[in-house]
Amino acid sequence: MSSSAPTALPYPAPRPVGRSSLGRNLRIYAEFVRVGFVNTLAYRLRYYTGIVTYFIYVTVYYFIWKAIYEHSTNIAGFDFSHILTYVALGWIIRSFYYNNIDQDMAYQVMEGKLAMDLIKPVNIQLMYIAQALGESMFRAVMLSLPTAIVLLLVYPVRGPASARHLAAFLVSVILSFFLVAAINFTVGTFAIRLKSILGLLRAKYFLLELFSGLLLPISFFPAIFQKIFNFMPFQYISYIPVLLYLGKINGRAIAASLALQLFWVLAMFALGAAMWKWSSRKITIQGG
Amino acid sequence: MKRHLRLFLLYLAQYTKVRLAYKADFIIAFFSSMAATVLGFGFVLVLFSKIPKLQDWSFYEILFLYGFSLIPLGFFNVVSWNLYEFGDIYIIQGRFDRILLRPVDTLFQVIFEKFRLESLQEVATGTLVIWICVRHLGLDWGPFDCLWFALMVVCGAVIYLSVFLILTAVSFWFEDRVGIVPPVFNMLTFARYPLTIYSVFIQFMLSWIIPFGFASFYPTTHFLGRKTFTPYFHLVPVVAATFFVLSIFVWNRGVRNYSSTGS
Repeated sequence: MSSSAPTALPYPAPRPVGRSSLGRNLRIYAEFVRVGFVNTLAYRLRYYTGIVTYFIYVTVYYFIWKAIYEHSTNIAGFDFSHILTYVALGWIIRSFYYNNIDQDMAYQVMEGKLAMDLIKPVNIQLMYIAQALGESMFRAVMLSLPTAIVLLLVYPVRGPASARHLAAFLVSVILSFFLVAAINFTVGTFAIRLKSILGLLRAKYFLLELFSGLLLPISFFPAIFQKIFNFMPFQYISYIPVLLYLGKINGRAIAASLALQLFWVLAMFALGAAMWKWSSRKITIQGG
Repeated sequence: MKRHLRLFLLYLAQYTKVRLAYKADFIIAFFSSMAATVLGFGFVLVLFSKIPKLQDWSFYEILFLYGFSLIPLGFFNVVSWNLYEFGDIYIIQGRFDRILLRPVDTLFQVIFEKFRLESLQEVATGTLVIWICVRHLGLDWGPFDCLWFALMVVCGAVIYLSVFLILTAVSFWFEDRVGIVPPVFNMLTFARYPLTIYSVFIQFMLSWIIPFGFASFYPTTHFLGRKTFTPYFHLVPVVAATFFVLSIFVWNRGVRNYSSTGS
């Protein structure tokens, strides 16, 4: 900690433990959030190149969509200016909600460090997600914001449909973070059973890019896929938040989308907790 | 040369034994990586359910280009792990000292330290996709075309290796854990689509600065019978050789500049 720059931290240093257990719990997890933030600070160089990386992604898709829209004005309900905004916003929010909880867990298992997690008197799921939240807060300022500024300067990205849509979008993006974190934790619990999980994580990475709607809107998928996706949490990661921003979801449907997103967050939290309970009974510590 | 070949085989055999000690583990890694590669095609598959063509490229032509880009990349990825970790393991942790003490070429030792065998799934997937495309496009391939194809794969792998070798050698001067490798690695995405869709600046960059175009796009245009780029196609071996020589030069300069961390 002493090595980090004197930046304002999101939470004050922990005070002596109070009486209420809820307050105490909050303070513990707030501390994990702080740790996540500070740890990321140590690797801030990585985020400078991250801005370039995200810019490259958006640029590739900008040119692909430009070539596609030379021949048509409207595909699956999107014109060129909408699709460009869709792509840019999708990558900007990804730079915020993204985390590596599953990969971190896999390395903990491989290096036999999981024992250290187990002896902590805290909820492991909440611990991982709190640390990821700290990291995402860092990313919001150091990665998402600069990436957004660069993209807005270079490409003709549309503004939000209205103040109401913007507010819904922001709420939705925060829910996206919790959704991704809960999914990644659930996937991470597989690492305990299967020793080599890195290939599986790579598959999950591409699956999420595609099914979340990051690469292209869900409305581009064949109808049967769209129906199946309605019973999955993935489109709530990227597709729904960006549709809110673009104003393609209106009126009462806004609240309904956010409620469904919240439902999926809670469902994935519950699934992750159950998976952890089930897997952690079978832990073998490698060389621990 | 003969000694190096023997050493290479020993390195490979040794590492294969290490990996196959856990057979089930290796098989899971191989097939889950393959699933990941196949999912990478998802964007193209879904996109072409809505559009007939990308510029004047048909679905199977785009698929061919994407598939081709995977094959040299797969071969390169077998050894690429060593380059990604180079700055961290050899420079910052000072393990390069050990390399210098041995009477074998430094680059040889670094590149063949580890093999990521499961990356061969990219070669397998790419070949399968190309085979499907060749059948659908009705391309008539003789033995001569297959020979050209093999040569282009080798050139492509050499181009990838050279580019990332130059970037890796930068760590000899700047002890930076992160480096400039990740953004350049992400530029590989550019080379999976026709270069002609990009702006002139990007086309120039992908041809002459970071020549990924010569590893995927220009070879593909030849096999698809697009005559516009024939001169570029003939330049592929030249570009590969030039960048390879350049990368060896930069590497050797870097080795001379190396000063141990002392740890």
